[in-house]
Amino acid sequence: MSTNTASSSAATAGSGDSSGARKNSKRPKYSKFTQQELPACKPILTPGWVISTFLIVSVIFIPLGVISLFASQDVVEIVDRYDNDCIPTPARTNKVAYIQGGGDKACNRTLRVTKRMKQPVYVYYQLENFYQNHRRYVKSRSDSQLRSPKYENQISACKPEDDVGGQPIVPCGLIAWSLFNDTYTLSRNNTRLAVNKKGIAWKSDKEHKFGNKVFPKNFQKGNLIGGATLDPNISLSEQEDLIVWMRTAALPTFRKLYGKIETDLEIGDTIDVLLQNNYNTYSFSGKKKLVLSTTSWLGGKNDFLGIAYLTVGGICFFLALAFTIMYLVKPRRLGDPSYLSWNRNPGGR
Amino acid sequence: MARPGGLSVDSSATNHLRAPSRTVTLGRIQPQAPTFRTVYCNDRDSIFPVRFKGNSISTTKYNVFTFLPKGLFEQFRRIANIYFLGISCLSMTPISPVNPITNVAPLSMVLLVSLIKEAFEDWKRFQNDMSINNSSVEVLQDQQWINIPWRKLQVGDIIKIKKDGFFPADLLFLSSTNSDGICYVETANLDGETNLKIRKALERTWDYLTSEKASEFKGEIQCEQPNNSLYTFTGNLIEEKQTLPLSPDQLLLRGCSLRNTEYIVGAVIFTGHETKVMMNAMNAPSKRSTLEKKLDKLIITIFCALVIMCLIGSIGCAIVTDRDHDYLGLHKTDWEYRNGMTIAFFTFFTLVTLFSTIIPISLYVSIEMIKFIQSTQYINRDLHMYHAETNTPASARTSNLNEELGQVEYIFSDKTGTLTRNLMEFFKCSIGGISYGCGITEIERGIAQRDGLKIQEEQRSTGAIREKGFNFDDPRLMRGGWRNEPNPDLCKEFFRCLAICHTVLPEGDESPDKIVYQAASPDEAALVTAAKNFGFFFYRRTPTMVYVRESHTEQMGKIQDMSYEILNVLEFNSTRKRQSVVCRFPNGRLVLYCKGADTVIFERLAYGMDEVRKVTGQHLEHFGSSGLRTLCLAYTDLNPEAYDSWNEKFIQAKSALRDREKKLDEVAELIEKDLILIGSTAIEDKLQEGVPTCIETLSRAGIKIWVLTGDKMETAINIAYACNLINNDMKQFIISSETDAIREAEERGNQVEIARVIKEEVKKELKKSLEEAQRYLHTVAGPKLALVIDGKCLMYALDPTLRVALLNLSLNCTSVVCCRVSPLQKAQVTSLVRKGAKKITLSIGDGANDVSMIQAAHVGVGISGMEGMQAVMASDFAIAQFRFLTDLLLVHGRWSYLRICKVVMYFFYKNLTFTLTQFWFTFRTGFSGQRFYDDWFQSLYNVFFTALPVIVLGLFEKDVSASLSKRYPELYREGIRNSFFKWRVVAVWASSAVYQSLVCYIFVTASAFDGKNSSGKIFGLWDVSTMVFTCLIIAVNMRILLMSNSITRWHYITVGGSIAAWLLFAFVYCGIMTPRDRNENVYFVIYVLMSTFYFYFTLLLVPVVALLADFIYQGVERWFVPYDYQIVQEIHRHEPDSSNADQLEIANELTPEEARSYAISQLPREISKHTGFAFDSPGYESFFASQLGIYAPQKAWDVARRASMRSRPKTPKKN
Repeated sequence: MSTNTASSSAATAGSGDSSGARKNSKRPKYSKFTQQELPACKPILTPGWVISTFLIVSVIFIPLGVISLFASQDVVEIVDRYDNDCIPTPARTNKVAYIQGGGDKACNRTLRVTKRMKQPVYVYYQLENFYQNHRRYVKSRSDSQLRSPKYENQISACKPEDDVGGQPIVPCGLIAWSLFNDTYTLSRNNTRLAVNKKGIAWKSDKEHKFGNKVFPKNFQKGNLIGGATLDPNISLSEQEDLIVWMRTAALPTFRKLYGKIETDLEIGDTIDVLLQNNYNTYSFSGKKKLVLSTTSWLGGKNDFLGIAYLTVGGICFFLALAFTIMYLVKPRRLGDPSYLSWNRNPGGR
Repeated sequence: MARPGGLSVDSSATNHLRAPSRTVTLGRIQPQAPTFRTVYCNDRDSIFPVRFKGNSISTTKYNVFTFLPKGLFEQFRRIANIYFLGISCLSMTPISPVNPITNVAPLSMVLLVSLIKEAFEDWKRFQNDMSINNSSVEVLQDQQWINIPWRKLQVGDIIKIKKDGFFPADLLFLSSTNSDGICYVETANLDGETNLKIRKALERTWDYLTSEKASEFKGEIQCEQPNNSLYTFTGNLIEEKQTLPLSPDQLLLRGCSLRNTEYIVGAVIFTGHETKVMMNAMNAPSKRSTLEKKLDKLIITIFCALVIMCLIGSIGCAIVTDRDHDYLGLHKTDWEYRNGMTIAFFTFFTLVTLFSTIIPISLYVSIEMIKFIQSTQYINRDLHMYHAETNTPASARTSNLNEELGQVEYIFSDKTGTLTRNLMEFFKCSIGGISYGCGITEIERGIAQRDGLKIQEEQRSTGAIREKGFNFDDPRLMRGGWRNEPNPDLCKEFFRCLAICHTVLPEGDESPDKIVYQAASPDEAALVTAAKNFGFFFYRRTPTMVYVRESHTEQMGKIQDMSYEILNVLEFNSTRKRQSVVCRFPNGRLVLYCKGADTVIFERLAYGMDEVRKVTGQHLEHFGSSGLRTLCLAYTDLNPEAYDSWNEKFIQAKSALRDREKKLDEVAELIEKDLILIGSTAIEDKLQEGVPTCIETLSRAGIKIWVLTGDKMETAINIAYACNLINNDMKQFIISSETDAIREAEERGNQVEIARVIKEEVKKELKKSLEEAQRYLHTVAGPKLALVIDGKCLMYALDPTLRVALLNLSLNCTSVVCCRVSPLQKAQVTSLVRKGAKKITLSIGDGANDVSMIQAAHVGVGISGMEGMQAVMASDFAIAQFRFLTDLLLVHGRWSYLRICKVVMYFFYKNLTFTLTQFWFTFRTGFSGQRFYDDWFQSLYNVFFTALPVIVLGLFEKDVSASLSKRYPELYREGIRNSFFKWRVVAVWASSAVYQSLVCYIFVTASAFDGKNSSGKIFGLWDVSTMVFTCLIIAVNMRILLMSNSITRWHYITVGGSIAAWLLFAFVYCGIMTPRDRNENVYFVIYVLMSTFYFYFTLLLVPVVALLADFIYQGVERWFVPYDYQIVQEIHRHEPDSSNADQLEIANELTPEEARSYAISQLPREISKHTGFAFDSPGYESFFASQLGIYAPQKAWDVARRASMRSRPKTPKKN
């Protein structure tokens, strides 16, 4: 039989095919990517990992918490709410009428220093229930106008405080219009404490966002006076009260820097504050507070960070303990095949 | 049939030609146009005014002009995009708190990416079209064959196609180099059938073969309008005033190729999109994955959450908004603040715009990108799924369904070409009670492997012959070795029986190497080939004679030509299950050779054969359990007188007008008796490589496999055995139409009656089986169940009244075999499970008959690399081998599912977290809808600061390696159970989002209240929001690392990169002033923040606290309720991840329970009762039948045998 020759001829034909095939082989090229064999780290949350992660977190967090708590404790803060007290008792039935009426609204407050306050001591005013973050309010400003006299007419966003009789208001918008206008005069033992109102705004605002060639125009000339007036002869970049005010607050309770006292305040000092209670928060029952505070490297008196760090660190420590106990009491062998669902329930689900 | 007027042909002639052909259309059926087309051949001038369509095809979706409008339209059909378009429009209005850029930027980004993807895909289609349009064809011009590209071909052109060339258009076949004007075509591209079809040109046109002659051809063709019916064609050729009818026999369809013919000449009738194959081209129904549908539900839920949030906000705003806040300037104007209702109304839309980020806009485009890369880079390029022999890599034809592959619960498989290679090989035999053949079948190998036995390597003897149809090795029989066996005479009878008792036609050269056997079933061809290799070479057949060249019969090495006169052929049919031939030897000896099923042969054996019968029976069982198809051979010597008297009866029966078949059967019974058992043959229906292992793996994965086949029940059961789908431990329910009651009814012949009886029977059977099945289910260790049902019963079982019972029964069965089913039934069964049981289904098949099933299932898989393309064209995934399903499902599918789930969950989480911080803030702004974040922060959050890590997650996430996925197929069940996309999982992520947003918001705002840094300056809104945003970016990005099981360097790069990108962006964006009227809210904010210690303290605290809860959750979950994959991870935590790990011993890891069940499985089983009889293939028919005038159902396109039958009788006459 000549089968052999046939098979050999078939074999040569086959090899010819395969060499041809090699040329246009569709065999995919090997690469780690296409074969999904990229080197990878495969973390498994073994109890060891879990416990040690908790321990590490607690080891880092507890000291940080202690540090921030200490920083916060260092800060001395005096808070005085005056919105109610500064209304003369007879006028308290209708505070809004009082505040909107004319006349002198001076008010005297006395603060007692209970702990030594190293200079600089910062003077803040704190408003509550004041929606400086209201959508209508936040957008009612013109950054270009504040920056350069060229853009004086860019007031489209400023409604309803955009112009007076066709003349653009500089600075326009609700924010500027409602500029805070209570004033504080502080004195200690009848000597006036100088309140430095320079350097209370962020430098970037002062130098870039508020132009030194932009001067207030037509400001508070409308039918309603919203708040403080501005000296038309001082450029906006020097009007730091305005700059601070216009960095709108995130929440309806907020503090704004009023100025700083550059002398130390000693324990037992009494500080007399003569304030002009002009700003109307009474119509929406907003609170007004005067705050004197020192700062630490971390900022003002705020225990939140420290407590949060300590709590989290503590919880992690506790969890580490709990997991360790659990590990000892009810250990699960790693990779125990009896945990596999098809072994637990041989019938299969 | 209404025929167009003006045709002078006798329409009955064409009708006659068409009568037996089935009308098969693969796509939508189009009504035939009432008019006809006239083609003037070889005459471009007269054709020109008609303006038939050109031959260039285009499958692109767009062109340069329609791309933008059409592409955008496609994009906006997606509900999420419409939503964002609406939001973008809203954000242009004054009620919007955000700049339009916030919503327009992400939307345009998403649209851009999608459009680029569309353009890229369309470009590929265009290039593909171009390469087809530009392939060249020889066309007749000025008496010469000139090469022109396909696209320039016109109707009426005369073209020449060489051997193995493809037809560029639908052609009228004029002439061929073969005598008799025939040519062979392969239609695999159309219907997947691989056997060659014969086309025959009209005798009149045979001469137009050379260019000179062909240019003289001036015919006019009148034919039907283009339509999509592949198997019909009517028309007339009018040449020299003669009208000749045309039939499908003269039509060569585009897409087919020419075989075994040097070249042919044809005239173009239909071109381009008007060709039948193109008319059949249908857009596969676009499928969406189940996960994506669930995702829609999630999106709707999110949308509801959005509406609720906005309602809360708007009601709050209506209550809180107060003219007393005079600094808001409300008293001066405005219509929108007129009263509570208007405030609420407008605030609602304000808030919708503000919270729009809750719906993850980039989710769809990200998922699409991930899936696209998964399918093009992973599935298409997986070396594990590359089949070297056919040079076919796997191919994902759609990228929509990757994750669906991870949830498949039911697989519907075709048999032929999918499970098996449709390659019958003579493998073993038993002669006179001695078993021959030393091969080991795939199934034996599988069983041995399961039992942990080592298989000795097969050692083929030197003289072993391996050819198509023959894979037998035993030196005792080869090369005349049988002469030394105990029973040489029986061996001789065995071989003669193989060489004589069949209906095979030899074709081609009469030498052993070159002869080609044309047989109705490959089994027959294999048997005759076996005879050839044993030295009984059947080389010629005339209607009355069979010629066999016998070797070694008289003495070793001697060859002699023998001619046997065939006196009668007793046909095979499914009731007889046997076939006999009465032949007369040259020396006058009268012998009846018979082959058939063991049961029918054993009944008819002569007395005293018990010993041989018993031994042979054992062999048969052994063969059967090895998955082999068996036949018993027997013979009997006939007494001439007895034969003559019988023959008279036979001739009478044959000429009977009524009940001819029945009478023939009865007559056959008279002579087929007192048989002497020779032995049995065992043919291996070659399974595709690795099928049993694959099926076993898949069933361990919780996937149920159904075999749907057109084959007969015996064959189907056989294959089911061979594939491990059914074994003898299983309880089998067999619902067959081959019962006595049904047969009786059928004999009475009343159609209505038959239907009623079958339905009753089926109902009874179903009910009985169902009861029994339920009884087994309640027992603890009941056997596994299997259902076998045939097509006729299935037709009734699918009836609405019985459907529920069928579904209940079949869902309880581990494997189901449906045999004798039509393509339509395949689809019906698939949708029964898909719709009835709401399970995810996958269909796999290779041929045109599987198309409907492939399209009906959730996922359609086509077997590629074979000849047929129809299944592949309709499929969603194409693989070369059934066994690649393991990789496709267990590796790619499972990972895709896992990845997409994680990606979706992460998107949901990150957008919810982001939006919730905004929501909490809204409570503190008097519900005014003030935005918390800068516009650009918000718009880039999704597309820039958190986009890449999640894509990396979607690409590289791996719970366990590929080899472990295959080693623990059970892991796949997590996908079937949908463990990773349940509402419970959503809830966990949602609470995580709530927690994290609260932490980010409250921690930062609470600690940012008073003066920060030692100069006592105060933060504003934008400082705080930028701080929150920074914490959020870090927490959300780090969350990716926490949820990843496998962290590559790309994770680090993208996570680090995203955070760095945010910081970089912040530095640049906060550092610049633009001259336009823009609120420079965040000017310098980041620098201000970074000048304080507060920034760093918060940055450490907040993300850690935010992630702590998730960390604890994950730790506890792994500890107390671990997922399966987590255990597997732990088991193999020290192993390097490599694909070589496949070979690891599993036995080492056995638990006691496993070990016990393993031991039980090794105990000897009840001896198999399955003997593996199978002897048919669909469309089994005899050419004798048609010769004798007995009606046999014919296939539409005749097989090659018919043509050779016509020509064959001429040969002896000429001689």
